[in-house]
Amino acid sequence: MTQEPAQDHLDALDHFRERTEGRVIDRRGFLAICAAIGMPAGLARLTPAAAQGTNRELVLVNWGGDAVRGMRAHFVEPYIRANPGRRVAIDGTGPSSGRIRLMVQSGRVTWDVMDRNLHTALELGRENILEDIDYAIVDRSKVRPEHANQWGIGNYTYAHVLTYNTRRWGGRVPTTWKDVWDLRGFPGRRAFRRTIDGALEAALMADGVAKESIYPIDMKRALDGHKAIKNQTIYYNAIAEGQAAFRDNEVQLGLLLNTRSWPLKNDTNGVCDYTFNEGIVWVAAWMVPKGAQGGRAIWEFIASTQEPQRQIELLRSNGYGPVNPAASAALPEDLRPLDPGREENYARMLPGGVAWYAEHATNALQQYLDAISS
Amino acid sequence: MSAASTTFAAQPRRGFRGFYVLMLAPALVLLLGLYVLPLFGVVLISVTEPRPGLGNYELLLTSASVQRALWTTGRIAVLTTLITLILGYIVAYAMRMASEGAQRWMLFCVLFPFWISVLVRSFAWITLLRSEGVLNTALRGTGLIEEPLMLVRNETGVLIGMVHAMLPYAILTLYANMRGIDLRLMTAARGLGAGPVAAFLRVFLPMTRPGILGATVLVFIISLGFYVTPAILGGGRTLMIAEYVALQINETLRWGLGTMLATTLGISVMGIMWLMSRVLDVKRLFGPA
Repeated sequence: MTQEPAQDHLDALDHFRERTEGRVIDRRGFLAICAAIGMPAGLARLTPAAAQGTNRELVLVNWGGDAVRGMRAHFVEPYIRANPGRRVAIDGTGPSSGRIRLMVQSGRVTWDVMDRNLHTALELGRENILEDIDYAIVDRSKVRPEHANQWGIGNYTYAHVLTYNTRRWGGRVPTTWKDVWDLRGFPGRRAFRRTIDGALEAALMADGVAKESIYPIDMKRALDGHKAIKNQTIYYNAIAEGQAAFRDNEVQLGLLLNTRSWPLKNDTNGVCDYTFNEGIVWVAAWMVPKGAQGGRAIWEFIASTQEPQRQIELLRSNGYGPVNPAASAALPEDLRPLDPGREENYARMLPGGVAWYAEHATNALQQYLDAISS
Repeated sequence: MSAASTTFAAQPRRGFRGFYVLMLAPALVLLLGLYVLPLFGVVLISVTEPRPGLGNYELLLTSASVQRALWTTGRIAVLTTLITLILGYIVAYAMRMASEGAQRWMLFCVLFPFWISVLVRSFAWITLLRSEGVLNTALRGTGLIEEPLMLVRNETGVLIGMVHAMLPYAILTLYANMRGIDLRLMTAARGLGAGPVAAFLRVFLPMTRPGILGATVLVFIISLGFYVTPAILGGGRTLMIAEYVALQINETLRWGLGTMLATTLGISVMGIMWLMSRVLDVKRLFGPA
């Protein structure tokens, strides 16, 4: 998704407003900032919550960009409408493990709800830096059994999908990971992310490992797979970088998130396309840092995001798959091909191994980076 | 103004010096509090996490992963330094020989990239050099090549980006040194029968040795710490030490390993600086005092 510069600017303003409306900056500090930049405090309706004595707001941390707009429109705003007087600010700077750990250890926890994934919840939960999910308020029955654990509850599904350029091979397109590893049959530059989730599974499937036997992952075999293609491959860091590489025809086939492959297909008028076949499907999850200050409101907010209609709207705007099977079942016709959780799509994919990642992710990531770094 | 200076002049010498020390104090306090102290924290973590001792430093000798990152960093830094020095020397020499007016313009052109962020420059290189980029499209248009040249998203790309970023440092250091050289010496050499090449090799080049040494050390040290350029231009396959450290801090959460590498890098750089100060008169490096 290419954003207009003006939109970026608005995002920055929004972000600033949300940060200032929270307890991140108190009233005095806020007024000092306004004075320093020469702006009357009322100008941008920048009203620090603390100054007005309203409810303490929640801070939701996600990964920025369109996720901020989408979650605000379909999770936060309906929640605020249902609970007048409450506030939820979205911080799009990304709840990486290092930041969570640092925040909890420092004892100054300013985040309440974090958008991450289930295996990280398992990993960090065992380190005792996450709150237990309060299943008295959050409804465990609204997600598949494999999409909830002690420290995380699914909030949407996404998948690593085989994405390709339809024009490169005279009408033929790759349909399996084996094709991606077939340098002769499908010449061209490959794309994988510089993270292990999805990349390891794809290498194993290409090497003929059956879906049921992917886990526990045979690291040597997976890494040998990547060593075989790495000279033809761009390993992108940011997911947007991968999307741009496909759009600019720097790469012709490889792995991308379905939430990016779909706008990519639209942006390129179908020149780039993707398949759920042999995709690796994951669940993003809400997690709460140990010592979060939001109290009961945290769990009420999370419960509110389990509403099927809100999840359907988020699929429409952002391509995030509903985690609530009831929402997947109720999808209108046009959204069904987008939803990784929709039964006909889900069945073609491999569910990502939450337990394996919780235990091995750290070491495996280092080994992966060592293998691809020449 | 003059009243003030008379007052100071009337002070005894010792108080006068004390006043200047006082002026240094805010900067010193800032440096100590916000730089030196946290730096000690970094060193401390490197010998206490995950358990006290020198276990992290042992990895320098035992971990293939750490050694590969160090080797990659060293190799790229050496290559960058070499290429930068050769290109930079040519430019600095041309600048020294040009007329005053031309020198000003050339200096401006050298300094100009300095004002653009490394991030922007890296993305600009991608636009220029990627397979469907400006250069490859032009070359294919003229029929010179059939397959696009792989100039970015690999180590070649990293080198191009880093040499570009480092050139001003090398040129300015060499140029400052060359400005201190009396060009009449060259004329004298010619007058005594040396050809242009011999005059350059036996008169000019030896006099620029401090400049060459200085530029080498400067470029090499800065090259060791590159982060953004390899991350963007390397296609994800060039893992240099700075990114390796960031990875340990942000992703794998092995802070002991990350801080150990940061400390090692810091000590190496200080070691190189110390060596340079032994060999070189640093003041002379930047032209005649």
